[in-house]
Amino acid sequence: MPCQYRRKDTKTSRCEFCSPDLVYSAFPVSGSSLVSMQGWVTLALLLSLGVKRSLGQNGVGELPVPRGLTLNPDLPAQTLSLTWQSDSSLFDLEIFHTELMNVVLNETVAVKADAVTGLHSWTWHSPLPLECTSHSVRIRARNQQSVGQWSPLQTIPGSDIPEKSESYMFPQDKVVPVGSNMTFCCIVKEKEDFKDMIYRRQEMSATRLSRRTYAITVTNQPASGNTGTNVICSSQRSTLTGAVVFVGYPPGDEGLVCETRDLASAECSWKKGRDTHLRTKRSRTKYTLNGRDCLEANERKTWWCSSKVWEESWSLLARNPLETVQLTDSAQLTDRVHLLAPVNVTAVEVKAWSATLRWSWSVAAYKKLEMVCQLQLFAHELSSTRNYSSPGLSSVELEGLWPDLDYTVTLRCGSKHSFWKWGDESAPYRIHTKMDRPDALDVWIWMDSSNTRRVFWKPLSLRKSHGALIGYEVSQNSAEEDGWTRVFLPPGNFSYPIILNNSSDITVAVAARNPAGLSQPSTVTTPAYRADSQLSVSELLAINGSFHLSWQPNANASSGYAVEWVPTGCSGLCPVDWKKVPESDSSFSVNSDSLVAGVRYTVSVYSLSTGAPTLLQRWQGYSQEMVPSQSVSDLSANQTGSDVLLSWKDTAMEHQRGFIRGYTVYLANAAHLDLIANISDPEVQSYRVKGLSLSLFKFVVKAYTSAGEDAGSTVAIKVEMDTAIMLFIGILVPLGIMFCCLILVSICCYKKREWVKKAFYPEIPGPKVSGDWSSPRGPLDVKPSPHSVVHIVESPGWDFTKEGLFPVPEEEEESENDNIEVDTDSDEPALLRYYNQVVGDGSHSNHVSDSSGSSTASVGSTQTEITYAGIQSPTSSQGACGGGGYRPQMQSVAAPAEPQIEFGDDFQDDALNTGYKPQCSWQMDSPEAENFSGSLGSPTSVTSSQFLIPESSEEKPQPSNTWFHNFLSGKS
Amino acid sequence: MAGRSVNGRHGLRGHAGRTAALARLLHKECIQLLELYRNSESLPSSPVDGGYLVSVPPLVPQLSDAEKICILHAALKECLRLLEDVITREDEEFSNEDSEYKRKRKTVRDRLGHLLASTEQLLVDGQKFEAKVKEELDGQVASGSFGLKMWIVRVLQDLVHWTGQTSDTLRSMPAEMEKAPKTMSRRTRRGAGKIKK
Repeated sequence: MPCQYRRKDTKTSRCEFCSPDLVYSAFPVSGSSLVSMQGWVTLALLLSLGVKRSLGQNGVGELPVPRGLTLNPDLPAQTLSLTWQSDSSLFDLEIFHTELMNVVLNETVAVKADAVTGLHSWTWHSPLPLECTSHSVRIRARNQQSVGQWSPLQTIPGSDIPEKSESYMFPQDKVVPVGSNMTFCCIVKEKEDFKDMIYRRQEMSATRLSRRTYAITVTNQPASGNTGTNVICSSQRSTLTGAVVFVGYPPGDEGLVCETRDLASAECSWKKGRDTHLRTKRSRTKYTLNGRDCLEANERKTWWCSSKVWEESWSLLARNPLETVQLTDSAQLTDRVHLLAPVNVTAVEVKAWSATLRWSWSVAAYKKLEMVCQLQLFAHELSSTRNYSSPGLSSVELEGLWPDLDYTVTLRCGSKHSFWKWGDESAPYRIHTKMDRPDALDVWIWMDSSNTRRVFWKPLSLRKSHGALIGYEVSQNSAEEDGWTRVFLPPGNFSYPIILNNSSDITVAVAARNPAGLSQPSTVTTPAYRADSQLSVSELLAINGSFHLSWQPNANASSGYAVEWVPTGCSGLCPVDWKKVPESDSSFSVNSDSLVAGVRYTVSVYSLSTGAPTLLQRWQGYSQEMVPSQSVSDLSANQTGSDVLLSWKDTAMEHQRGFIRGYTVYLANAAHLDLIANISDPEVQSYRVKGLSLSLFKFVVKAYTSAGEDAGSTVAIKVEMDTAIMLFIGILVPLGIMFCCLILVSICCYKKREWVKKAFYPEIPGPKVSGDWSSPRGPLDVKPSPHSVVHIVESPGWDFTKEGLFPVPEEEEESENDNIEVDTDSDEPALLRYYNQVVGDGSHSNHVSDSSGSSTASVGSTQTEITYAGIQSPTSSQGACGGGGYRPQMQSVAAPAEPQIEFGDDFQDDALNTGYKPQCSWQMDSPEAENFSGSLGSPTSVTSSQFLIPESSEEKPQPSNTWFHNFLSGKS
Repeated sequence: MAGRSVNGRHGLRGHAGRTAALARLLHKECIQLLELYRNSESLPSSPVDGGYLVSVPPLVPQLSDAEKICILHAALKECLRLLEDVITREDEEFSNEDSEYKRKRKTVRDRLGHLLASTEQLLVDGQKFEAKVKEELDGQVASGSFGLKMWIVRVLQDLVHWTGQTSDTLRSMPAEMEKAPKTMSRRTRRGAGKIKK
């Protein structure tokens, strides 16, 4: 037997299968331990020898060895066909990866011999491309009890044999369905190392199949991109090789339909269906129609095919490497007519209400075809579709157009008999119809008072104006006057005031004008005015915002009825709306579209006849009541005793926004309102709150409609006492208190009358001389001393009749004036002189400097000059003694050279007193200095430090500032 | 000198400067084109074995600038032919759908044509040279679509290489080459059809 396969492992071991007499058995060889290959071979030989000996001993060698085993690989299909000769029909098959002797198949199969050739044949599908590595096959016969000997190994070489030293990858450019599993192998070229295999950018786990072959298996493959899925085999240094696999779907085409456009040829189209994801030249879907290549689809990537001749049955084959799909269709030509679009569409005659349209056909055969055409007219808010039918139809008369409108016309046609589908649509064609006179206006006349009317008309819609309006003509006449008075109004006007004369009705005619002419005039006669007060106006309740009216039919309504609705109380240019109702109807609904929520409407029904409209019935109502937009007005609060009367007025009607159903009165507290009354009668607009205490109260009054309350008006009132009580408390009580006080004061004064007398009216004691009165008492020769001059000024507070004071005749003083210095007070009206009864040595004081300037004339004299307050001349009274009242001398204080600082404090204290101050100058070295305070208020000689009124315990004058203490202590 | 450019060490000017700028721009676009292709095909960035498809004598320093330009012009001419082959094969074999790669491919082809026309004006005395090309396409196609893709990568690698060589050579070209165009164009017309210098 010739050597079928010899290979040398250049790395580790040497494997030779060339012994002609050796029967091989399967022995596993680890791919990673070729070093031990030689040992394994020895073991296998021993085992096979043992098996041979055993079989021979058991007598099973009777089964013949299969003969003539041949291998026929189909590399693209990855199949291996085996044929052999044998008398048996049951065989054991073993297939190895030759190099490493990995068993890839060990199977028992029943294969009968071909009756003609006598050969057994069996095909194996390999999961691995057969080129990846060499495959070896052996076979043996088997029966129920025994097995025969293995046939010699037959091997097909892979691409990893040493003779092929380059890198390879298998399979190449295979097309597989989505979701399939595949095994790729990479044969590394000689002297290169293997790094990895990458599938769709992902490194896969590789299995070594031979010295140079590595394989990966990918499962559930997703659809490929435009250029397939790359599998790349790399070494450490570079990209070695690779393969592209195209993963996609079988053709998904469906819905083959064939039709004719020219009544001769055929056009077959279909839907592409699911994307196959197979876009390469070799894998994309190819189409054939009735056995002919479909060039349109194969080259231009469209989904239709044409055929020059109509065939009654059609078959489309859609084929890609995965699958072939057949689509069929069958029909008569007349059943599949799909007309082309009409061409050259034109309007040959255009009028106001009609136009003629013509077109032509690009296929002459259409002229005899019974066809139906559909014409679509599009205009502003006006669109219509019209069908026309005729053999070879090529013109139509368009009726029922509207004047002065832009129409866009499109046209499409189809076969009338066995209609298949509309043909292609023509290009849009524009038609503009001519103008016509406007339609008559809808006119109404409205009376807002007894002598004013206004005629209204509704604007004409596009369909009724028949052209842009130029304006309106309003004509009026009365029965008393002949002829019509016309006025022309521009197009923006929709009403015109009517001036009434006294008695007769006025008929008003209104017509619209456009460039095509004047419309038919619409006439209306002014009806008599009837105010709401003259009618029984009933309340009208809306249902879902609409007024539903019904009235008693009127026999005089020969021209039907007019329903008019206008906001109540409106005057002037009001939004008057109306609707004319046929005489057969006696009900009408005013839709909510023409009504405003919260507005009160007056709805009137008139009967129409040849004369003036006659008012039949009138209502008032709201389409939807709302809460008042303003609160009640003039809210006031008036107190009556402990009650408060609240009164208010309704708000204006436009602010009521609903029928006022009543009022609620609240007492406002800090954070909430307390309901104190709910007045359900809207006519009652006052409320008395009783029994309030003396405090501040805030009341809130709200009007309410069926929709709710308004925001409320607030009034505050402070509840006060009654006027009589206030008089009593305010006048009589103070008077009583005063009276009581007077009585108390009187009692006190009476009880303390002695003290009062002393305090307020003290007796002035007579002058007393202190000191040594040792001079012999004898008849006192009283001689008036020229130097003892007393100037006494007349003062109402002094009694000149007091003891010890004697008036001196003025003549004497004047005579004295010649020898002595004239006193500065000599100009006083009265001068009094008196002489001391006792003149002591002590009185001859040398304190001239202590005397006032005004008394310098008394120096060296025994006479005592006494100066009382008020006697001082105005110049001398400007001294620093300060204070009002009596100041006999001021110079001692005023002169800064005087040493008076030592006693200044006490002096000033006394000087502040407003009582009697005979002198401001005296000396501290006076023997009486310690008692000077008790002598204050006593006259003092200006030449002596002695007080003129000597101090005595019983007559000692009390300081004037202690009288209140004495009063309180009860001293008299 | 009026119109002197600051480009290049020697201060290229005029036509040679514009040609160098064009070569530099084309070189960048060839790099982008190769990158786009590798990304779209998920190919590794490692170079494909086999060397350059276009081969010319080595550009040794002993060669004059004019000779270098002549040799590079020949290489670029083969590159353009290869690129057009790529376009034809690709559009025939694979989907013809628009992509950024295909737009860039067209740009490179057009600009390479302009560069060839521009360098042709720099040739002196109608010098002509013919580059050799390894015609490995048939072998690659026999190995399947992957072989075609690898061949495309190699063509793009060649484009990157030869445009880079041209850009570098033009940048280093002295200003004296500026005199060449007028002479060359006149002589090229006279010596049309001559293959050898």
